[in-house]
Amino acid sequence: MSTLISIIKATDPEIKNRSLDEVCKNMTLNDLVIETIAIEQYRKEETNLYNRVRALFFLYAIHRFYIPYQQKVSTRGLLPYIAHEHLLKRRFEEAIQIFLSIQKEHGANEGISSGLAEAYHQLAFQTLADQVKLSVHSTAGNRWMFRISHPSDQPLRILKVLKEKDENSGLYPCLHETTPVRMDISHSCWSDIFFLGMDYPEGANVLNISIDLCIKDDMGSTPRPPIETWFRVIDEPVIRLSSIDLAASSDITDLSEVFDFAKDYLGLLKAAVIASGIVPPGMEGAGLPLSYLLERMVGKGKGIEIASKVNNIPKGSRLAVSTNLLASLISVCMRATGQTEQITGILQEEERRLVAAKAILGEWLGGSGGGWQDSGGVWPGMKIIQGVESTSNDPEHGVSRGRLLPQHTVLSNTDTLGGDIREKLQDSLVIVHGGMAQDVGPVLEMVTEKYLLRSQKEWTARQSAIHYFDEVVDKLKSGDIKGIAEFTHKNFDGPIQEIIPWATNVYTETIIETVRKEFGENFWGFWMMGGMSGGGMGFIFAPAYKKQAQLRILEIMLAAKKQFEHGIPFAMEPVVYDFKINEYGTKAELLNGIAALMHEDYYTLTLPKTIKKELNELTECQRNELAVLSSTYKNTSHYNGFVNNLFDRMIPQVQGENNHQEVLNNLLLELGFHAAQHQQIKNELKTGKIGLSKNRLPANTSIDDVLSEELAEQAAITTEEYHEIGLQALKNKELAIVTLAGGAGSRWTKGAGVVKSLHPFAKFDGKHRNFIELHLAKTAATNVKFNTELQHVFTSSYLTHKAVSGFIVNNNKNSNAVVSEGKVIGLRLIPMERDLRFMWEEVSQKMLDEQAQKVQQSVRSALINWARTNGEGEDYRDNLSAQCIHPVGHWYEIPNLFLNGTLQQLIHENPNLKHIMIHNIDTLGANADPAILGYHISQGAGMSIEVISRKLDDRGGGLAKINGHLRLVEGLALPDEKQEFKLSYYNSNTFWINIDYLLKVFGLNRTDLLNKTLVEQQVYKMAARMPSYVIIKDVKKRWGKGQEDIFPVTQFEKLWGDMTSLPELACSYIHVERNRGQQLKEVAQLDGWLRDGSKDYIDSICKF
Amino acid sequence: MKITKALITAAGPDQRNLALQTLVDRDGQRKTVLEILISEVRNAGIEEIGIVVLPDDIELYKSIVNFDTQIHFIAQDKARGYGYAVLCGAAFVGNDYFLHLVGDHLYVNRSAQPCAKHLVEIAQKHQCPVSAVTSTRENLIPNYGTIGGRRIPASTDLYQIEKVIEKPTPTLAEQKLIIPGLRAGHYLCFLGMHVLSPTIFTLLATKAEQTEGQKFGLSEALNELTTKEQYLALEKNDLRFDIGSRYGLLKAQLALALTGDDRDQILSELVEFLTIRNLS
Repeated sequence: MSTLISIIKATDPEIKNRSLDEVCKNMTLNDLVIETIAIEQYRKEETNLYNRVRALFFLYAIHRFYIPYQQKVSTRGLLPYIAHEHLLKRRFEEAIQIFLSIQKEHGANEGISSGLAEAYHQLAFQTLADQVKLSVHSTAGNRWMFRISHPSDQPLRILKVLKEKDENSGLYPCLHETTPVRMDISHSCWSDIFFLGMDYPEGANVLNISIDLCIKDDMGSTPRPPIETWFRVIDEPVIRLSSIDLAASSDITDLSEVFDFAKDYLGLLKAAVIASGIVPPGMEGAGLPLSYLLERMVGKGKGIEIASKVNNIPKGSRLAVSTNLLASLISVCMRATGQTEQITGILQEEERRLVAAKAILGEWLGGSGGGWQDSGGVWPGMKIIQGVESTSNDPEHGVSRGRLLPQHTVLSNTDTLGGDIREKLQDSLVIVHGGMAQDVGPVLEMVTEKYLLRSQKEWTARQSAIHYFDEVVDKLKSGDIKGIAEFTHKNFDGPIQEIIPWATNVYTETIIETVRKEFGENFWGFWMMGGMSGGGMGFIFAPAYKKQAQLRILEIMLAAKKQFEHGIPFAMEPVVYDFKINEYGTKAELLNGIAALMHEDYYTLTLPKTIKKELNELTECQRNELAVLSSTYKNTSHYNGFVNNLFDRMIPQVQGENNHQEVLNNLLLELGFHAAQHQQIKNELKTGKIGLSKNRLPANTSIDDVLSEELAEQAAITTEEYHEIGLQALKNKELAIVTLAGGAGSRWTKGAGVVKSLHPFAKFDGKHRNFIELHLAKTAATNVKFNTELQHVFTSSYLTHKAVSGFIVNNNKNSNAVVSEGKVIGLRLIPMERDLRFMWEEVSQKMLDEQAQKVQQSVRSALINWARTNGEGEDYRDNLSAQCIHPVGHWYEIPNLFLNGTLQQLIHENPNLKHIMIHNIDTLGANADPAILGYHISQGAGMSIEVISRKLDDRGGGLAKINGHLRLVEGLALPDEKQEFKLSYYNSNTFWINIDYLLKVFGLNRTDLLNKTLVEQQVYKMAARMPSYVIIKDVKKRWGKGQEDIFPVTQFEKLWGDMTSLPELACSYIHVERNRGQQLKEVAQLDGWLRDGSKDYIDSICKF
Repeated sequence: MKITKALITAAGPDQRNLALQTLVDRDGQRKTVLEILISEVRNAGIEEIGIVVLPDDIELYKSIVNFDTQIHFIAQDKARGYGYAVLCGAAFVGNDYFLHLVGDHLYVNRSAQPCAKHLVEIAQKHQCPVSAVTSTRENLIPNYGTIGGRRIPASTDLYQIEKVIEKPTPTLAEQKLIIPGLRAGHYLCFLGMHVLSPTIFTLLATKAEQTEGQKFGLSEALNELTTKEQYLALEKNDLRFDIGSRYGLLKAQLALALTGDDRDQILSELVEFLTIRNLS
C-alpha cells in the first residue's frame, strides 16, 4: 500500500499524525507521481469525509510543493483552457481528470501541477464546506425551515402579547434584547474553525468570556452590552429593518427582497429573519408578496419591525461583533415567535445552543462565516468551549470525528473559580483596537490546510498551544492573572507565529516593544485576539498600572500608526476600551406603554422620512409613537441632543462636501491634471468608442505561441563568457536599477490606497521589511559581491511619492537610491454599466460557493444600480481625494525618468551608465545577475525581457507571436480569453534596457535630456503610439466605525510591455527561473511563497 | 380494569355553544355535536358520562340530552383553562380510569373500529392511560398538543409517550418530539381523546395550586404523567375537526356526509355547486 494512504487510514495517532514532508522530502519524481496516482484512486473510493479531505490536501501539497521542485520536471507546459473553465465553474473533478490525462500523456510539468494543486485545494475546501452546510441544515431546530416553502405552511405566529396595543399610549409592546460580545482569552490557535473542531475535537478548546464594552473616553462612559436589538409589531404589512449604527432602514414588501443580502447594509438583519424561521430559507424563490406571510403570522394589515444597534464598536474588533449581533437578532425573533420558553430574561442552555446553530446558518446564508466560539456572547460570563466527538444522535456521526456545535461549560464561582478572578482580570487587562481591519480569510485557510496535513512544525506548535490552554485555565482557576499573561504572550510568540507567521506584523510588534520598554516588569503580557493582530488586542498589566497603561497605549498606538500608515492599511484610528464581564449573556425585556419606544438614534434615522408625510398618511401607530416621543424627549435625559442630531441629519452638510471637492480640485491642479484630455476620454467612454471590450486586438489577429528556440534559457546563458561581460559592466558602473513603485498595489490591499512598496510584509534577518528595503538589500548584496555601486531609482506616483521619498530619505541615507517622481495622473470615472456587465458576464469569472455566489450577484446588481444612479462615465469624486485619482500605468514611469530629470541626474553622476534594469516592486527575485546583463549586452538589443513559464495563476498576457512578430501582449488585448492558454510564457515585467538605444527610439539622445520641451514633445508623441487600456479597479471607501465599501471604478493605463510592438526597438527574450521572475501580488500568496523556498531564495540574494 | 365513565369538557368561553351545533350524521340523522360525541362514547361501552359546562348552560344542555339520567353535568365555576375544566370532573370520576373527549372536536372514523372504542380497549389491555394521536404535518403542530416518544416494539400503532408539549413550534418539536419511523416533518398530535388515570387529577390539583388563580392547560400535567406511570399513545388515522376553527363546522359536516349514506347526493351537489361557481 502507498505510504501516504497508510498514514491517512491509520488509527494509531503516532502514524496518523505523521507529516507529509517527512515522507515526501526524499522521494524521487517517479515515487511522487506513483503516490499521487494511488491517492487519487483512494480518495475516490474512501467514504470517510476526513480521510478523503486529507487525501485531497496531500495531493494538493505534492503538486504545489514537491513535484515542481524536482530536477526532472519540465518547466514548460500548457494548461488547457477547458480545464481552467471547469475550475472557474467549480467543476473540480472534471478539471482534475483533464490535467491528469495530460500528465499521463506528457509527464509531469510545472504548469499542470499548478492546475492540479489548485483543483485539489479547492475541492478539499469545497468538501469541507459542503459538510458544514449539511450539518447546519441537519441541526435539529433548523431542518423544518428548509421544508416550509409556501407562506400558507408557515407554522410560526407572533406571540399574542406583542400584538396587543397598550390602551393608553396606543403603542405595541417592544421586545428589547441586549447581548454582550465575546473575547477568547486563550487564543486557540484557530482551533475553533469548524473544519478543525470536526477533524480533531480534542484539540479544539477555548476560554471564552462575554463582555460589556465601551470606548474609553473623557465623558465617563461605562461598559454596557454593546449589542442591542428590538422587535415589535407595526400596522403596515411590511418587514421594516433598521440598522441604527449603519444608518440604514428599509421596508421589505416582497419575499425575494429578504434574500437579497447585499442590496443594502441590512444583510445581517435579513439573515436573522431567515435563520429564525420568520421567512424560512425554504421560501426562497416563492415569488410572493410578503403581506401574505405576514397576515398569517401577525394579522391582516400588520407587519413587524426589527432594529439593531452596535454601540460604538468598530469593525475588525476581533470580538465577534457581527456573529453576536446576528445571534441577538435571531434570539429576539425566536422569542417573538414563541421559539423560546420565556419571552424575556436569559435563555436556557438548549435555547442558546439553538441560537448558535441558527447563527451559523445565518452566516452561511450571508456568505460569511465565523468560528464555533463566536456566538459565545449568547452565554453568560466565563466558559470553556470544547469540541465534542460526534455520537450516533448527531448528524455528523460516521462522517467526522467531531460535532459541528461544541459544548459550552460555564465556569461559576462556586465550583471552579476564585471569587475575585473577574475583578482581577478587569483590573489588569487593557483591550484595544489597533485600527487595522484585515481579511482573516486567507489565514483561516492556511491553518486548516496545515492542520489537516499535519505539517510537522505546525502540528508540534498546535500541541504546545493545547498545553498552554490547559495552563491558562489552571491559572484562571487559581486567580493568577500574571500567569495567564505569561502564557498568552508565550502563545503569541510561539505557536501562533510558528503556525502563521503573518499573524503578527511590524505595527503590533512596535507597540509591544514600546509598552515593554515603558512598563518593564509591570507589563505582564500580550494577548492576540481573533485571526490576526493589529485589530483587537489585549495587554495585561500589574493592576496598579492599568489606568496609566490605558492612557499610554492609546498614544503609543497613534504614534506607531503614524509611523506605518503609508504601508499598512488602517481602517480607523486606534481606540482603547473599558470592559466588564457580562454575567447574563443575551437577555431581553418587554417594553410596554410609553416605555415601548425605540432607541433615540432610531428616531434620528427614521424621523426625517416620517415627518415628510402628511398626518393622514401616517399609520395610527406612527401617530401614536410621534405623540409619545414628543412628550418623552422633553422629559428624559438620554434624549439630550436628540433635536440637534435630528437637524444635522435632515439638513445635508453642504459645507463639508464643498471642502472635499475643493481639496480634490486643488490636488488635480497641483499634479498637472490634463482636463481637456480627460473630457475627451470621458466622451469616448460614454459614446462607446472605448471600453473594456475595445481593449482587444482585432479578432482576425494571428496569435501563436513562442518556440523554445526563439528565446534564451537562463541556464543556457549562465556561461562564463556572459558572466564576465556582465561583471565588467557592473564593475564599470554601467547599470542602474529602476524599481517601479508608482502603482497602488490594489490587489495587495484590495484597493485600500496604501503604498504597497512600504508594506513590511515579512521578516528578514529578524525584522519586518518592506519591498523597498528588500530591493535595496539586493542592490547592497550586488555591490559587495561584484565590487560596484549601483544607482537605484524608485519610481513613484502622486499616491506613493511623498511616502516613498520620505522613507528613502529617512532610512537609507547611505544608499545610492533616488526617487523619480511621477507626474501624470488621471481622474477615476464611475464605470459604464456595459463595462461592468462585460467584466462580470462576458469574461470568465470564478464562481463562488453556492450561497456566496448569490451574495456576490446581489452585490453586483447593487453596484450596477450605483453606477446608473450616480452617472455612468462621470467623474468619481465621492471618496478621499487620493482614492479619486489614479496612476496611469507603468508605461509613463520610464519616460518620467526623462521628463523629471532623473535620467539626466543619473548620467551626470555616473557618465558610464549605459543600461537600466527595470522591474516591478513585487518581483523580489530580480537582481543584477551578471550573466543576464552580459547576455543583454552581447545581443546588442534595445531591450531584453525576462519571462517565466506559465502557471495557473499567471494571468494577464505573456509572450506571443502577434501576426508573426514576437512581442509581449497584455491579457486585456487578447481577442479571446482562450488565447492566453496557448501561450507558454508569462511576462515577469523585468526589462534590461540599453539607454541610448531607447532614447533613440524616442527620437532623443543624452544631450537632448536637457531640453525639456523636446523631451515632452517626444514622450507625448510616443505615448500617442501606445494603446490606452480601459480597466476597472476596486477602490475602498471607508465610513462609519471601520466600515468599508468597495466600488469598481474606471481608469486608463498604458503599459510598458507594449513597447515590444515597436518595430524599431529590437528585443530579446530570456526565460528565467521562477524564483527570479515570480511576483507577489496578493497577501494570500505569502504562505506558499514561504513554504516553497521562495523566501529563502530572496534572503540568499540580499544583504541587510 | 374496566372503564365506565367518560368526561367531556364543553365550558370554554369560545366553545360553550359549539357542542350544541346541529349536524347531519353519517346515517342521515340530525344530531347536535354533543349527541354525536355521546354516541362515540356509548359505542365504546361507556354509559356514564360527565359533561363540564358553564353553570348557566346546565339547563340548556340537559334539554339537549333529553334529561338522560346517566349524563351528569358538572359546573365549571372559574374560567381557569382546559386543565381546570378537567379537574372539575375529579369528583364525578373518582378513583377510576376514564375516557375524556373535548366538546369542540368531532371525530370521523376512517376504520371499522371507532376511535373511542379502540382507545378504551387498548387502555384496558395495557392497564395504563392512553391518548389517541394522529400523524400531523409540522406546519399544523402549533395548533395541537404534541408527543415525543418511541414505538412500542412489535406494534404498529402504539407508542410510549416520553414528552408532551402543548402547541410546540417546529423548532422545539424537532429537538424534543422526533419519533423514529415517522415521515420527515411529521409529528404525533393529540386527537383530543384520551383514557386517563386518576393520577391526572393529583397533577392538575398541584397545577391549580401553583398557578394561583391563573389559567392552566392539560398538556403540562400529561407531560408530568409520563414520569409517573406508563403512558401510551394510540395512532389513529381518523379525522378530527376543530369545529370552533374557521370553517371547522363546515368541514366536519362535509366529512360526515362524504363518509356516510348521503355521499353520492352531496358529491353531485358539490359538483353542481362548483360548476355554478365556475360559470359565475
